[in-house]
Amino acid sequence: MIPTLLSQATNDPALGAGLPVTPKTFWLPEGASTIAPEIDWIFNFINYINYFFFVLVVGIMFVFMWKYRQRGREVYARGPNHHTMLELGWTIIPTIIVVFIFFIGFKGFIVAKTVPDNAYQIDVTAAKWYWKFKYPNGATSDDLYVPAGRPVKLVMRSEDVLHSFYIRDFRVKQDVVPGRYTSLWFQADNPTEGEDFHHIFCTEFCGTGHSDMNRKVFVLPETEFDNWVVEQGRWLDKVSDEDLWWKAGPQLYRACASCHTLDGSVGTGPSWGNYDGNGNVWERTKAGSTHKIDGGKNLGDIIGPGKEYETPEGYLRESILNPGKHLVDPYGNVMPTFKGQLSDRGIQALIDMMKNLDKFNKDGTVKPDAIPNAGGAAGAAK
Amino acid sequence: MTTLDSRPVVTEVKDNYLTFTRGLLSWIFTLDHKRIGVMYLFAVLGSFFVGGVMALLVRTKLLFPGKVEWMTADEYNKAFTLHGAIMVFLVIIPSIPAALGNFVLPIMLGAKDVAFPRMNLFSFYLWVVGAACAVYSLMAGGFDTGWTFYTPYSTQYGAGGTIPVLVGVFILGFSSIFTGVNFIVTIHKLRPPGMTWFRMPLFLWALYATALIQILATPVLGITVALLVIERAFNIGIFDPSMGGDPVLFQHFFWFYSHPAVYIMILPGMGIISELIAVHSHRHIFGYRFIAFSSVAIAIFSFLVWGHHMFTSGQSPLMNVLFSAITFSVAIPSAVKVFNWLATLYKGSIAFNTPMLYALSFMFLFTIGGLTGIPLAVLSTDIHLHDTYFVVAHFHYVMMGSALIAMIGGLHHWWPKMFGVMYNEFWGKIACGLVFVGFNMTFFTQFMLGSQGMPRRYYMYQPEFQIYHHISTGGSYIMALGFLITAIYLIHSLFAGKKAPANPWGGASLEWQCTSPPPHDNFATTPRVGDCYDFSAVRWDEKQQGYVIDTEAHLAAASSGKGH
Repeated sequence: MIPTLLSQATNDPALGAGLPVTPKTFWLPEGASTIAPEIDWIFNFINYINYFFFVLVVGIMFVFMWKYRQRGREVYARGPNHHTMLELGWTIIPTIIVVFIFFIGFKGFIVAKTVPDNAYQIDVTAAKWYWKFKYPNGATSDDLYVPAGRPVKLVMRSEDVLHSFYIRDFRVKQDVVPGRYTSLWFQADNPTEGEDFHHIFCTEFCGTGHSDMNRKVFVLPETEFDNWVVEQGRWLDKVSDEDLWWKAGPQLYRACASCHTLDGSVGTGPSWGNYDGNGNVWERTKAGSTHKIDGGKNLGDIIGPGKEYETPEGYLRESILNPGKHLVDPYGNVMPTFKGQLSDRGIQALIDMMKNLDKFNKDGTVKPDAIPNAGGAAGAAK
Repeated sequence: MTTLDSRPVVTEVKDNYLTFTRGLLSWIFTLDHKRIGVMYLFAVLGSFFVGGVMALLVRTKLLFPGKVEWMTADEYNKAFTLHGAIMVFLVIIPSIPAALGNFVLPIMLGAKDVAFPRMNLFSFYLWVVGAACAVYSLMAGGFDTGWTFYTPYSTQYGAGGTIPVLVGVFILGFSSIFTGVNFIVTIHKLRPPGMTWFRMPLFLWALYATALIQILATPVLGITVALLVIERAFNIGIFDPSMGGDPVLFQHFFWFYSHPAVYIMILPGMGIISELIAVHSHRHIFGYRFIAFSSVAIAIFSFLVWGHHMFTSGQSPLMNVLFSAITFSVAIPSAVKVFNWLATLYKGSIAFNTPMLYALSFMFLFTIGGLTGIPLAVLSTDIHLHDTYFVVAHFHYVMMGSALIAMIGGLHHWWPKMFGVMYNEFWGKIACGLVFVGFNMTFFTQFMLGSQGMPRRYYMYQPEFQIYHHISTGGSYIMALGFLITAIYLIHSLFAGKKAPANPWGGASLEWQCTSPPPHDNFATTPRVGDCYDFSAVRWDEKQQGYVIDTEAHLAAASSGKGH
């Protein structure tokens, strides 16, 4: 009885390029996600029930209006005052119908809420009055680009007030709430062609620019998307060498921040700050200090001319790309590798940040007076 | 036993409540429920005019998809916020209970007044103070939060008049609570001999159920807006996450009141429709008990469904499922009422007077309003429709197309009783037709706008939506014309209307058994009551140009059980 259209959704992007999954109708805009056919089916099904009851009620009303109109001065009319079976009937039958409607809506909702395990995650930030999309490689964009034929999960947060993220063609909507993360997912199988796109609307009132908070969704064939996101990820290349430490470093550090603090306090991994008297991460590495690693060795034993790492930079680079090789006591081997996610330039930015750690606040933002500007000495090279 | 019941064929009574005392002070300090009802009526209708002008401004802006020079986005936001807040708090919530209910309820009970006349007057002045706060807020910079006052926008941003209007809402809440308390006590204590609970007019059942919601839900609104004021004025974090609060908590608080408030608006309207359809069909109401119990059922269920306003808010999916399931429980008693009204038309003798035309409009519009609630209650489709024009259209069909249309129908029904004059029936029917056509043009198109994905509260929109907005705005102008005509012939009737008989429509409830307008004390002695839906003893009287009730036959029919 209930169609499981989800399972029939085509997974061949080339076949349906530019085509909607469901066409635009009198009521609904075109559907372009894998859940759209199911939602549309439920909506149309309810509509047909509604048409039936509307015609029933209003039709009977008009018939009675005509048939029992007042004639002359005849005033008193006799009719049944009640009929228990009839009244029970029109109480119970609608109850059965709405229970059924609830059930199909519930089923569709569970599908729409269950995120596939292999979903591609994109982080969304909402603020008055723009959306910001951030991809796993650190690339960011103002419009949303998604790969065709692959489930996409959006993890969303707001910087100020309530917003609501709505892609009508995908039939998805989720409020974006300050102070918490919300998420939604969708899968669009058919790539958009050329200039075509799907609308993103903000649907929670957020002030003056509420109706300006519209952006576009572009669905790209998967390989094209992969290229796009790499290209988009080259933002690092556009930052000049002199500015790497404060423009790129802090942004990349956000991925490190959940384990490595800057102020010396204990985290999942060793703090970048000074926590044992050996100085911060750069000072203790450079000094070849007695900072303990690998169950009793000193850092100084492996860093230096002729040793395992010629330079402290070499050791830090290895720690990011191959974090299990040497472990700072007493921490275990829990850090994931960033090989493939972080370019050499990204590593350089992080190391440059470590070298200038005293110019950062403990939340990872650069101190305003440390920022080199056009008039400042440090910015002169630019 | 025989003497007092000859009152319906009233000869002339010298004084009525309008002429009993004279002068401005006699109105300002009146304790007469009828005068308080009339003051409420004109205050509410005045607010309705202001709210209507705001609506027309909003609709006129929406003729154009882009920016317009004469209205900025901020002005637009203030206009739709003002429209919503005025219509909800100053118009619809007090309209039927405080204006029509105040006038009719004690008379329907054969009582001289409500249980607490001073509290009744106090409630009106609280309304005035609340309205004054709203006016003050306009001078203090207006407010642009939407009538829902969602945080943190309302506490951290929001225009300068936000606190005054919140104070106003707080005060209006007490006005509403006092009316509710008054009605509950009055119905419990002042029913005349012979009027058991199941002999009460259904309008009173509806007002009783409404009063229950008013006194149980409104305090929560008061607390909520008080917390908002505290957060905004003193930066104490309650709802704002940057101060450790939770914005979703606000939504729970707000809808815990504001969903039941939807039934504060619609239940009295349903009560009016039960009266109108029975009286103008000259036919006993069908399924009295089902209608009466459905009012109480709606009142109870209304407290359990607030979360259906928050399916996309980030509350847990489990709660979404529960709230969706419970929401359908409200659909059943509403459907039962519609079927019972339909069955009341069956074998009736239907007179198409203006009030009846409004009642039939109500059935048409409420059926649409109710049925379109279903895709909004269904989880998976609501995700698509939430916060779009579909929701706007749905609640206008229920709040305006149903609650306000019922109020205007009731106004036409009791206008001869209130002021002792008949309005022009011809223009009444024309205006009703214009309102009906205009309303459907305005709001049916908004269903399409919404399901096509146009979000609500948008100053600018995609050009593809423009055609729908043109039709919608055109409809709103037709509706405005209908209301303008209504205002003209009603005001005209006050000065030049034909004198109204005691019982112009053939009603059998007590308010039709005193003169039009009623005397100061309503009834000289406590009347005895029969079955108020038994029209077998009602006859047309050519001399009075109105209906008369053979009271003895009416009472005899009730006691023999023939009426039921």
